Amino acid sequence: MLELLQIGGKLTNTLSIYVKTNTGRTLSVNLEPQWDIKNVKELVAPQLGLHPDEVKIIFAGKELSNATTIEQCDLGQQSVLHAIRLRPAERERKASTLLEEESPPEEPSKPLNETLLDLQLESEERLNITAEERVRAKAHFFVHCGQCQKLCRGKLRVRCALCKGGAFTVHRDPECWDDVLRERRIRGHCESLEIACVDNEAGDPPFAEFYFKCAEHVSGGEKDFAAPLNLIKNNIKDVPCLACTDVSETVLVFPCASQHVTCIDCFRDYCRSRLGERQFMPHPDFGYTLPCPAGCEHSFIEEIHHFKLLSREEYERYQRFATEEFVLQAGGVLCPQPGCGMGLLVEPDCRKVTCQGGCGYVFCRNCLQGYHIGECLPEGDTASAQNSCEYSVDPNRAAEARWEEASNVTIKVSTKPCPKCRTPTERDGGCMHMVCTRAGCGFEWCWVCQTEWTRDCMGAHWFG
Amino acid sequence: MSSMSPSERRLQKELMSLIKEPPQGVTVDTESVHQNLSEWKINIKGSEGTLYEGEDFQLLFKFNNKYPFESPEVTFIGTNIPVHPHVYSNGHICLSILTEDWSPALSVQAVCLSIASMLSSCREKKRPPDNTLYVKTCNKNPKKTKWWYHDDSV
Repeated sequence: MLELLQIGGKLTNTLSIYVKTNTGRTLSVNLEPQWDIKNVKELVAPQLGLHPDEVKIIFAGKELSNATTIEQCDLGQQSVLHAIRLRPAERERKASTLLEEESPPEEPSKPLNETLLDLQLESEERLNITAEERVRAKAHFFVHCGQCQKLCRGKLRVRCALCKGGAFTVHRDPECWDDVLRERRIRGHCESLEIACVDNEAGDPPFAEFYFKCAEHVSGGEKDFAAPLNLIKNNIKDVPCLACTDVSETVLVFPCASQHVTCIDCFRDYCRSRLGERQFMPHPDFGYTLPCPAGCEHSFIEEIHHFKLLSREEYERYQRFATEEFVLQAGGVLCPQPGCGMGLLVEPDCRKVTCQGGCGYVFCRNCLQGYHIGECLPEGDTASAQNSCEYSVDPNRAAEARWEEASNVTIKVSTKPCPKCRTPTERDGGCMHMVCTRAGCGFEWCWVCQTEWTRDCMGAHWFG
Repeated sequence: MSSMSPSERRLQKELMSLIKEPPQGVTVDTESVHQNLSEWKINIKGSEGTLYEGEDFQLLFKFNNKYPFESPEVTFIGTNIPVHPHVYSNGHICLSILTEDWSPALSVQAVCLSIASMLSSCREKKRPPDNTLYVKTCNKNPKKTKWWYHDDSV
């Protein structure tokens, strides 16, 4: 960031910008922040063989008016503006509106970031907002940037949902996150190609497709996206964190009815604590996610990129758990070979499972031991049976298996399977009343009886 | 102050507010807290007009570094353990907000109030039916006990 500022300083804030046309040309121009769009047209039009009045400039979903200055546009280095030649009909209309006195103010004059206040706020909140709050609330989006590897300020951009071209003007501003995150909400006019895009045979205009860029690194072109973190907000209402009670600049607002707030540090702590106990929940629509820490209903985080706020290592762990959970939910099995754990989806009636794409181990789906013909052996006998079988297949492989067998034995001695889902469970002290910690199972069972927990268990051997 | 973890900052704040505006009948043993921020002793007075009027009790709160995302460990300590159907004679308390119904939106103060109201609503002083077995065999940490909550009336 510091480096960027220094470079910016040396170049006296000149922005190096690309201008794209709908005829496939791209010009590279240098713009001064204090210039207005009229200056830009005067610079660009001659290079296209046009008069400045024949050109309109489109950026982030809006046609920019002549009076808009470059500073107001939220342009970064190497941003892309779109220069489109006006069609004759449009030119005449423009000319005539200019003649009318005080014609209705040019509505799409300001760039999206200026008109778009705050998807953060509910509509009634937007009306009762002070000027000072307005400044703080102005179009602040947060993204997880893959390049910067952190939480960054983000910029909202628009393109045509059909041709993905940026010479696109929206018919209305987005007013809430759903307008931006859900498809097919806002239509617009696309001029990226010579012939305007249409959505259907009736000739309806195409839909806008919103996306986000990181505002903290130099744009890497039109494919440089960042994942929007819609729950992260500027704390304009100075709400203290639910956990540490500090009032932080940037907070995460949970999607529950009470809109509980945590600071980013405490959100990370919350995720770590749940991850350590494997207590994320597989949600049918959102994926592997968490609810509001206060236990509110309907509060699951929908955009799972929020978990990218964890460290890389923690996020990888999150992904591994999520994948395993998905495989188990889908009726699959995890390869029982120590150090493998590959998720395998198999036909419901297939008992012989091969760890394809993983370690290649062939095992029985029912007893999770090496594949065998006939009934599964009762526990205890299996280890030796498996060993002799492995030995006859490949001596090297068997030697390795003996080493790993050590951990198998440890697991067998110190764990019992959950009577319902068979997850090996270790009892690390405490009472005999076990609750399966596998998300979605939660079976309450007795360590002694290895069946469901009952009042009798509590009376007879609550504590062994 | 800045070198504190979020969990310590939260505890520090809760402590300040509990010292400044304690709920009726609740006092923090500040000396115990100054020695160790992760273990608090809190004195609770039996409310007037209840079975525990005139009695003094002491609670021990232990916090780990995941507080408030994980619940504190709370037990009665000292010579006077209240005789109550949800309080074992070793000081362990059967109260759902101390385990599965814990939420980081709760606080030390909320726990104290909840325990005070649990005492106040009691109509007969007696130990839990399984007190003897439990006390003889249980783990030192009440959070290692999986409680079965049955009776919300007391």
